Amino acid sequence: MLELVHFQVLSAALFSIGIFGVLSRRSAVLVLISIEIMLNAVNVNLVGIAAFSERAADVRVFGHILVVFIITIAAAEIGLALAIVLRVFRNRGSANVDELNVMKW
Amino acid sequence: MGTDTVFLAPAIPAIGFLLILLTGRRLPEIAPYLSITSIAASFVVWVVVLMAFLNDGPGSSSIDWFEVGRFEFTWGTTVDAISIVMLGIVSLVAIGIQIYSLEYLKHEPRLWWYFAVQSLFAAAMMTLVLADNLILLYLGWELVGLGSYLLIGFWWERRSAAEAAKKAFVTTRIGDVALLIGFVLLFRETGTFDISTIITMAHGGLVDSAQLKWALFLIFAGAAGKSAQIPLHVWLPDAMEGPTPVSALIHAATMVVAGVYLIVRLFPIYQMVPESLDLIAVIGLATAVMGAAIALVMTDLKRILAYSTISHIGFMMLAIGAGAPGVAMFHLLVHAFAKASLFLGAGSISHGSGQTDIREMGGLWRKIPYTTVIFSISALSLVGLPVLAGFFSKDEVLLAVHTGRLNNGFLLVSFVAVVFSVLYTGRMLYRVFLGQLLPINKDSHEPGLQMFLPICFFTLFAACLGLAAFEWSHGYKGFVSWVTDSEVGFHLDPAITGVSTVILLGGLSLTWFIYVRHWVSSATIQTRLGGLATAAERKFYFDQVYQWVFNRIVVPLSQLTSFIDRAWVNDIGVDGPGKLTRFSGGILRYVQTGRLYNYALGMVIGAITLGVLWWSI
Repeated sequence: MLELVHFQVLSAALFSIGIFGVLSRRSAVLVLISIEIMLNAVNVNLVGIAAFSERAADVRVFGHILVVFIITIAAAEIGLALAIVLRVFRNRGSANVDELNVMKW
Repeated sequence: MGTDTVFLAPAIPAIGFLLILLTGRRLPEIAPYLSITSIAASFVVWVVVLMAFLNDGPGSSSIDWFEVGRFEFTWGTTVDAISIVMLGIVSLVAIGIQIYSLEYLKHEPRLWWYFAVQSLFAAAMMTLVLADNLILLYLGWELVGLGSYLLIGFWWERRSAAEAAKKAFVTTRIGDVALLIGFVLLFRETGTFDISTIITMAHGGLVDSAQLKWALFLIFAGAAGKSAQIPLHVWLPDAMEGPTPVSALIHAATMVVAGVYLIVRLFPIYQMVPESLDLIAVIGLATAVMGAAIALVMTDLKRILAYSTISHIGFMMLAIGAGAPGVAMFHLLVHAFAKASLFLGAGSISHGSGQTDIREMGGLWRKIPYTTVIFSISALSLVGLPVLAGFFSKDEVLLAVHTGRLNNGFLLVSFVAVVFSVLYTGRMLYRVFLGQLLPINKDSHEPGLQMFLPICFFTLFAACLGLAAFEWSHGYKGFVSWVTDSEVGFHLDPAITGVSTVILLGGLSLTWFIYVRHWVSSATIQTRLGGLATAAERKFYFDQVYQWVFNRIVVPLSQLTSFIDRAWVNDIGVDGPGKLTRFSGGILRYVQTGRLYNYALGMVIGAITLGVLWWSI
């Protein structure tokens, strides 16, 4: 039987993978994918809590609606981020985040 | 065309000033005509308003400008006997002076600027005279100070002129600070700056008497600064560095008597505080004696006249102190025209002979007989030769001291001042016009008509204004009662008149024997007098004392203040936070590595910390 804790475990696992990816990957594209994974971890959590909440159905549906909004915004955000990465790659010939260190002291 | 059109009198010269400023550099030759036209228009306004005043009596009008809390600022004029007399003096003397300046300053390259400031001064002086509230009066008061500063420093290339302008500005400013505090005190007590309301409230007993006393003392300090009374008189003699017509207009006839005018305007309040009148009388008398004593030993013609002015304003203050503001106004009126004529005459003398020092003059009557006659009439009028105007005004002052609220010690000391006045006038006249003609002066010449006619005009007033003192009709009981709206008519005290006439004739004969006949040489007298003469020559050490105070007290104090300002306020207070930010930034900037995963790690650690904190609380 599927329960809330399964959603939460999946969400925590996805989120940790995302954090690991952001911290360890060198390629900007992979970092962005990791951020997407973290966003989806949040979505899973939201869907789970909304589904198993004790509240009335018309309140619980807000959780699902919120997920749809997050997906939309995530798509827009990743589009913007990829465009920036593309410009960086065009200008510098690499999308390695280690080399993007001009904005330091 | 009632008394409310009077606002045009200051407005037209103000517009003239702006026009001259706009056109001055490109069309300097029209500046004098703009200025003279505007002041003549003011004179016409004065005539119209005088007619309206004589028909309808006093009036006032005002328009609101803005309001801040309890404070209402209005542009208001008040027309009464005092302000109409002052307005007449200002416009008449200013016209004469400006026409005189046309010739006197013919070759000045900055003539347009001179006339611009003349217009500004006329506008400011008329504003001061007509103002119905203290703030507007203060505005005019400061602007005439500015005009005086600019005109004393007209020849600013000369160091002494620039210094004199600065001295005049700073000295009067000391008085002005006191004046402003006095005004604000009055405002705090009454909640208004309107002069007539303040007077009504003070008479109604609505003003705390201790506060009122302080306010009046402070206002008198301001008046003393402007009117060159002890101890703030030191600027006036130095102000003679300016062009002579300026000395005649600003430093003899109009601006310096603004203090007298202010006290007369506020006299209904001063009357309520006898101590303030005592102070005014003492200061006025001391100034009258001191000014006349210094005038006795000065050698520069204009400086003699300057000290004479100081002395005569002292007499006016004395009359106010004696409780007779009308007498002060009468002496002010006579003195304005007589002294304007004397200064313009002195200007003509030095213009024609090139001398300013009376030791370099002598026998000039052979060369400039007309100027001699005119100058002598004005000088003798001021010392009170019978039937000339000064005879009446001076006797009115002495009579006021005698019959007024002061005791007879004041009268006695006043006679000392009168003796000195006669002596310095005799000395001045004899040394300038009689005796040997020096070879250096053999080319002296009379001034042209543009210079001579204004002098004649002023001298006519100086000679004939005495007529105004008499009781002509039932409605006009003499100038003094007319101007103060009182019922007391004109009368002469035979004893006082006799004594002052004897002093006059005696003094003139005495100086005749000393300076013309040389029975006793003046040098011998000076040696006999010893310390007294030296003290007078050194102007009773006021300048030295002030210099000492400046050098030993003011300068070290300012150095201390500037040290505190630099070391504490600037270095610690202002630079301190800046330096701290710079220092900490210098360390903390190494946090910014520029590596993406460092920032990401920081975010993760921060999020975890926040989560743990939230959880534990």
